[in-house]
Amino acid sequence: MSAAINPVPFNQAARRADFPLLSREVNGKPLVYFDNANTAQKPQRVIGTVDDFYRRHNANVSRSVHTLGEEATAAYEGTRDKLAQFINAPSREEVVFTSGTTNAINLVAYSYAQPRLKPGDTILVTQMEHHANIVPWQLVCERTGAKLKVAPITPEGELIVERFVELLTPDVKLAAVVHVSNVIGTVNPVAELARACKSRGIPLLVDGSQAAPHLAIDVQALGCDFYAITGHKMFGPTGTGALWAKREHLEAMPPFFGGGEMIRAVSFERTVFADPPHKFEAGTPNIAGFVGLGAAIDYIGEVGIDNIRKYESELLAYATDALRSVAGLRLFGQAREKAAVLSFLIDGVHAHDLATLLDQEGVAVRSGHHCAHPLMQFYGVPATARASLAFYNTRDEVDRFVAALEKVRRLLM
Amino acid sequence: MSAADLYRENVLAHNREPRNHGALDAHTHAADGANPLCGDALRFELRVADGHIAALRFSGESCAITIAAASMLSERVTGLDAAAIAALRAQFDALLRGDPCDRDALGELAAFGELVRYPARRQCAQLPWATLTAALNGAASATTEKDSP
Repeated sequence: MSAAINPVPFNQAARRADFPLLSREVNGKPLVYFDNANTAQKPQRVIGTVDDFYRRHNANVSRSVHTLGEEATAAYEGTRDKLAQFINAPSREEVVFTSGTTNAINLVAYSYAQPRLKPGDTILVTQMEHHANIVPWQLVCERTGAKLKVAPITPEGELIVERFVELLTPDVKLAAVVHVSNVIGTVNPVAELARACKSRGIPLLVDGSQAAPHLAIDVQALGCDFYAITGHKMFGPTGTGALWAKREHLEAMPPFFGGGEMIRAVSFERTVFADPPHKFEAGTPNIAGFVGLGAAIDYIGEVGIDNIRKYESELLAYATDALRSVAGLRLFGQAREKAAVLSFLIDGVHAHDLATLLDQEGVAVRSGHHCAHPLMQFYGVPATARASLAFYNTRDEVDRFVAALEKVRRLLM
Repeated sequence: MSAADLYRENVLAHNREPRNHGALDAHTHAADGANPLCGDALRFELRVADGHIAALRFSGESCAITIAAASMLSERVTGLDAAAIAALRAQFDALLRGDPCDRDALGELAAFGELVRYPARRQCAQLPWATLTAALNGAASATTEKDSP
């Protein structure tokens, strides 16, 4: 996008210094934060913006005419403009604020899918989905008699596109696919999937939770119908996120939650709802959080999403090579298009023991099923350890991580 | 490594060569335990005679903490009745909370007192107890916690 036209200079060390938390120690060692797919750290820009909002501008939004109310509303709604631009949405009115991806997908499940589903219908997902892109569909299937279908993946962790397309039969009323896998980092060919869906009249939802902090998102170029993102993985506050949906879908969808903020007129006989996106935003939102998310989007723009992608892909290659040098280490997911996420196990060492012992070395990784039981079942393991990198991580940290892994392996073997 | 206090030599030794590991022929009680935090599974099979544990075996894929706890537990509770096991479990839970407890009664299991510093790992050491108790109570399964997200 803009970075391609005007390349932004990238000073990695200076960018790392933007994140105050990264300078702390854990268990007497410098922190190596490799749990970015779980949640990302926050730059001072975001922390300062949230702090400043509560110190100087705090008021409720969209209802007060006083100065603070105007300021809060302008800052909050400003994030909608920034987010619309960030994902290249055709219109800011197509961006519905939610508490995150889970909430966004549930909104589509209950407001879009449930009224349309009947027995015999199906929803198509993939083997690599996060529980947030499985369970909401199962719940609406239970209510409607519809069923879930699952598109398979290869052992390398790539979606088998031909099988996905074959499964797009007339019974499929919605397809839901993760853009970037939180467990194995696979970047799915969303535009190709969207074309296949579109030619069959099947709407496509994309879970973009892990994509937003790592690659440029253009919902128009992708050609999907719904795109869900979460703020805390893109360096913004927790409790923020959004659903982008085509206007025709938002207009056809009934409200999900009722309350204030989402109405035009209410009497006891009848309520006239506000237009999208506000009809989906009942109640006082996480105002400071969304103002902080606006700062995070500005920050990503300043760093340059193309810089982020390029740096992370080099770091991923370096980390992949380094991990391959560890005896008995098995990597899960080796897609050709891959974000900087490394799921692994070491023979004879349990992921939980690994994570606890790495923490003693100051290295934060996640261990467990990563909210993706079906993917763990596919690989036949109960759990993996996962190192997920961000642009503020360094080769030196990868080296310390690998040295800590060797130390742990020797201790446990 | 400072985690050597948790992963101390006897814990590692029990993990490498667990005692009473495997299946138990002609068992009278059995239960499957699960730790939803990590997806670990553990199975206990017991032979109870006159209200006392005559023999027990455990199996399953789990982390070192769970395996070592199950291994030590299996040695410690052999010969005990349900009331004595319940009393011992109360001591073990107190140990994990950092409360006063009878470390002598717990024997090797007192090693897990280090879990005071690792709250997220306590359920790993509690899974064998939960599974054993379920088996004694005639329940088919046990879990240590609500599922994690």
